[in-house]
Amino acid sequence: MLCLTDPKSADVHKKRLKAKTIRENTSEETTGGNLTMTIQATRRHLLQTAGLGLAAMPLMVARPSFAQSAGKTYKIALSNSYIGNKWRLEMENVFKAALQMDPFKTEVVGSIYNSGNDVSKQSQQISNMIAERVDAIVMDAASPTALNGIIHQATSRGILVVSFDSGVTAPSAIKVNISQYDLGKGWAEWIVKQINGKGNVIMVTGVAGTEVDLDRNKGADSVWAQNPGIKVVNRFTGMWDSSTAERNTAAVLPSLPKIDAIWCQGGTDGVLKAFISANRPLPPTAGEAENGFRKMMLGIGGHTVTGYSAGSPPYLSLMALELARRILNGSYPKKNIDVPNVFLSNADLKLGVNVFADQPDSFFDDFTAGGPTSPVDICAQAAIDGSACTDQKLIINLPAA
Amino acid sequence: MPLPETILAASGPRRSRLSHALTQNIGLALVVALLIACVILYCVLYIVTQHRLPGGFELTSTLNNTMPLAFAALAQTLVVLTRGIDLSVGGVIDLTNAVAALTLMGGPVSTTLWTIAILGIGALCGLLNGVLVAIGRLQPILVTLSTLSIFQGIAIRILPQPGGAMPPGFTGVLANPNVPLSLIYIPIIGILWAIFRRTPLGVAVFAIGNDAMAASSHGISVKRTTILAYMLGGVASACAGLFLAANATAGDATTGDTYTLTSIVAAVLGGVSLFGGRGSGLGALFGAFVTVMVVNILFFAHIDPLYQTFYEGLFLLAAVIAANVIGQIVRRRR
Amino acid sequence: MTIAAVEAVDIGKAYGGVAALTKASFTASAGEVHALVGENGAGKSTLIKIMGGRVRPDTGEIRIGGQAVSLAGPQAAHQLGAWTVFQELTLLPWMTVAENLLLRQEPRAFGLIDRKATLRDADALLARFGVMHIDPRALVEDISLAERQTVEIVRAVSHAPKILFLDEPTSSLVEREVEWLFGQIRRLREQGCCIVFTSHRWAEIRSIADRITIFRGGQDVGTFTDIDEDEAVRLMTGRRVEALYPAMSPAPDDAPVMMEARALSGPNLRQVSFALRRGEVLGVGGLAGHGHRELFRTVFGDAHASGGTLSVQGKEKRFRSPRAAIASGIALVPEDRKSEGLLLRMSVRDNASLAILKRLTRFGILKPQEERRAAQHVVDSLRVRTAGIGLAVGALSGGNQQKVLLGRWLETECQILLLYDVTRGVDVATKHEIYELVVALARDGHAILFYSSDAEELAHLCHRVLVMREGVVAAELRAPGVTAEDIVSAAVRDHRAA
Repeated sequence: MLCLTDPKSADVHKKRLKAKTIRENTSEETTGGNLTMTIQATRRHLLQTAGLGLAAMPLMVARPSFAQSAGKTYKIALSNSYIGNKWRLEMENVFKAALQMDPFKTEVVGSIYNSGNDVSKQSQQISNMIAERVDAIVMDAASPTALNGIIHQATSRGILVVSFDSGVTAPSAIKVNISQYDLGKGWAEWIVKQINGKGNVIMVTGVAGTEVDLDRNKGADSVWAQNPGIKVVNRFTGMWDSSTAERNTAAVLPSLPKIDAIWCQGGTDGVLKAFISANRPLPPTAGEAENGFRKMMLGIGGHTVTGYSAGSPPYLSLMALELARRILNGSYPKKNIDVPNVFLSNADLKLGVNVFADQPDSFFDDFTAGGPTSPVDICAQAAIDGSACTDQKLIINLPAA
Repeated sequence: MPLPETILAASGPRRSRLSHALTQNIGLALVVALLIACVILYCVLYIVTQHRLPGGFELTSTLNNTMPLAFAALAQTLVVLTRGIDLSVGGVIDLTNAVAALTLMGGPVSTTLWTIAILGIGALCGLLNGVLVAIGRLQPILVTLSTLSIFQGIAIRILPQPGGAMPPGFTGVLANPNVPLSLIYIPIIGILWAIFRRTPLGVAVFAIGNDAMAASSHGISVKRTTILAYMLGGVASACAGLFLAANATAGDATTGDTYTLTSIVAAVLGGVSLFGGRGSGLGALFGAFVTVMVVNILFFAHIDPLYQTFYEGLFLLAAVIAANVIGQIVRRRR
Repeated sequence: MTIAAVEAVDIGKAYGGVAALTKASFTASAGEVHALVGENGAGKSTLIKIMGGRVRPDTGEIRIGGQAVSLAGPQAAHQLGAWTVFQELTLLPWMTVAENLLLRQEPRAFGLIDRKATLRDADALLARFGVMHIDPRALVEDISLAERQTVEIVRAVSHAPKILFLDEPTSSLVEREVEWLFGQIRRLREQGCCIVFTSHRWAEIRSIADRITIFRGGQDVGTFTDIDEDEAVRLMTGRRVEALYPAMSPAPDDAPVMMEARALSGPNLRQVSFALRRGEVLGVGGLAGHGHRELFRTVFGDAHASGGTLSVQGKEKRFRSPRAAIASGIALVPEDRKSEGLLLRMSVRDNASLAILKRLTRFGILKPQEERRAAQHVVDSLRVRTAGIGLAVGALSGGNQQKVLLGRWLETECQILLLYDVTRGVDVATKHEIYELVVALARDGHAILFYSSDAEELAHLCHRVLVMREGVVAAELRAPGVTAEDIVSAAVRDHRAA
């Protein structure tokens, strides 16, 4: 966080605050909409411009996000827990961007709260949302069970609760998620096809003890069971993190025979980098939607891998938001949604659409599903800094009711 | 007995009882003032944004969300008073929360017995810490950091996946969602603390926190007192685990983790000295409420989500600095 | 003679290879006040710690009531009726006087400690021993050192001890409190208690002790019922001290003024004016609590004057902090060297070089050789008795600690020295060395402001003495011809008139 101060950056920030003040008087922007700079830049400025931030506090206080709700139909709040990784930032960015685009711009007043992994804080924030009489709460929970009490409180007061990503077990909450089992299975099936049902495979798993990790592994194991020719020669955790995956792969690689395929839950680019460092050929790889992995699938950077990329998409927050809006206006039944997995092969990749040369390896390319018929179509800018797409085009297709 | 020859006469009137009470409980007085200020600020923000007064729901949910932290802060206080620190608070909460999720769904008798057993587990955890610190002569920070991992590990083994359930009656008593029943736990903690303060153990805990060597030269067993303080702390942590489970209506073996740090924050806000020997459990309780009120205030101030933690830190820092400055002024004016 | 109440037989004790006691013995009987005297480092404090149960001896035997005892801790001694007031007080700082006095024997109500009754009982206890000026509600942290000492004594005496050990009980007490203590000691003696105490104040020892055992180098050199001071000093130090006080340097009446105060006012300080010349030792005397402390703190920038001016070498100064005063060439050596000056756990080297670190560093990195040289210079020039400059200062005797502190400031090449009761709690031989040092420093051209609670010292060392009363300079006495009696009478004149 400690960066050298660019003398200009403080100015920029000042202007931003000024712009904010003006906008408060004139426009109907929502809380999230004011974030026009990149998240990284904003965070960098956080410390540098602490004094300015302080000066701006009364302004913020004077701007209740729901005060401009005249004409808007629904209050929807996003309750997020942890905000410390790229995925969560993109998830929140697309949410912010959506609030500035139709239909949400005219129909929804939104707000966003982060609690970190502190369950009692998230619970307290949700009770404040209840006090604020929101119509719906969209949440990425810090615990599957620990918020059940407060979720029950919300739903029993007629508030719609939609959970996504880190789901909750509360029966009264609507769940929006991909099938992690199918994801693991889809990766494995592709591998079987690639190597004709015979060969050595390594499995790079996720954070042990989580449901997501368990389900993905189960999905893969169901495929291996059907294909006795596949030999899983090693199974180790990559913690869904590129550098951890790289380190752990590098550690086991010398002891491994020739690898015919890689099955990886996350940190895929890290696993491949370990192969490159060890001068091993890159086998067919099924993995997450990291930009680094997809760049390699396109051969950017000198190494090319045959890959199959899919993941838990950041746009789940948009599916949840849209579901909440549709349920509230009565155009969709109150039921859980399974968001279909979108698997991309080398041929499906297109620079600037679902791979980005100027974004870091850790960027998740599946902030959009791509194409007007897909579940979600949104521009890259929205995922990068939370600003509205210039063409104001936002398409969210819920599965047929 | 004849009077001694020389009398050291008083040179002036003594300070009033109130003046003594205030300067000696300045930490407690300040946290109460801080809490009142927070409540007022919260109410103002609430009225401005919601155009109505906060009501029963707000009170009930704030109480229910704070009670686990209040007990965790109490646990931390008991140990910090001995000039120790308990980083395993979060681990004990994880463990007791996990056990609670698996065992409490039974008849009322079974629930009661298991509740007592869970408090016993807390005491055992504290015993382990206390023995390692007092008899093993190890640094409290190292011991409790290690046991934190151990307790977390056992908890995750007992309850690998979040789940379980709480009997509605149990939740109704500990974290009633409909009426602010938890309000009664504040005076209960107050009375228990007053009793503790008036037991030889309470005096001994404060004494060894003041100066273990001096305390032992007056016949206070430093080892016994240390172990008992950690054990009581363990029981309080177990209470936190139970209240957390009751409020969540289910168990999760990782939700206690954050309490290690927040319990220290609440205790310090409550005027408990990390150098031991000074502080009050009641202050820690109010400190816990302050931290939750800060979350509420920032919520209704509608701070940009990326700035929320920044302002939270700023707020706490300002509170600690203000308390310190006021405390020094009061002491100097004596 | 009746059976001995307490007996130490050939006690030996070494700390890390350094012998504190080699073969120390003495005997004291019931109804006797027995003084242990000796230089700092002679082993008296160690002996008291052993008899109080705080330290176990390596060799030798303690007998109480004729029985050899092995004391596992202070508690064991208490059970035998032996109570000790250690030099390092054992009060709990953040608890009240009442809680401290009644620790572990608090009155109960319904099984719980009755705090009201604790206060009441503590008040009664203090009153029973004629202590009315200490509020049992006060925190120990908030009362003065003398008051703490008094509370500690009351606590020990309240147990009606059969044997009472007092280690330098008077070092922080003023006259009236000493009188009070001696009243208590006499009363205990009448009741058949055996009192063993240590002190550096010869007049006190003469006035209260029935017998005196003199220690030197960890051994007893004899027990006496009647001995004059010169002889005692000779036995303590192993040499005859012809004159305790060195000859004064000539009064520097026409030397330049180094520091001048004009009508300085502040808390407990009213319109104080003086001029301190180069080469002069200007004494400050009077009863405790009459503004000396405030004067020193104000001059050192540690307290702020509400009125008046202070100039150093002709320039008017307004010190906002001791740092600013130090930068102007002023140094303060305080009385309570433990809490105000020395870092006891750090080495002699670190302590001696603390004030001149800036000079000893290059690019922020300490030059260890120069630091060692500076520290060795302090040790050599002040004759600090230490096994080496790497030794922790806390392991030195009180007088040697004081020398390290003094030496630290001398290394700063300061021009103005503020010495605040520097000989309190210091043995005769070290006192003598400090006196010689003061005279030598004045001869070297230092200007010295010298406060002492010992009027004798002021009379013998100072060119002039300012006697303070209620924050005002009540009298200025000019050497030669000043006697201790003059100083004391100037200090109390008004009280007598009133």
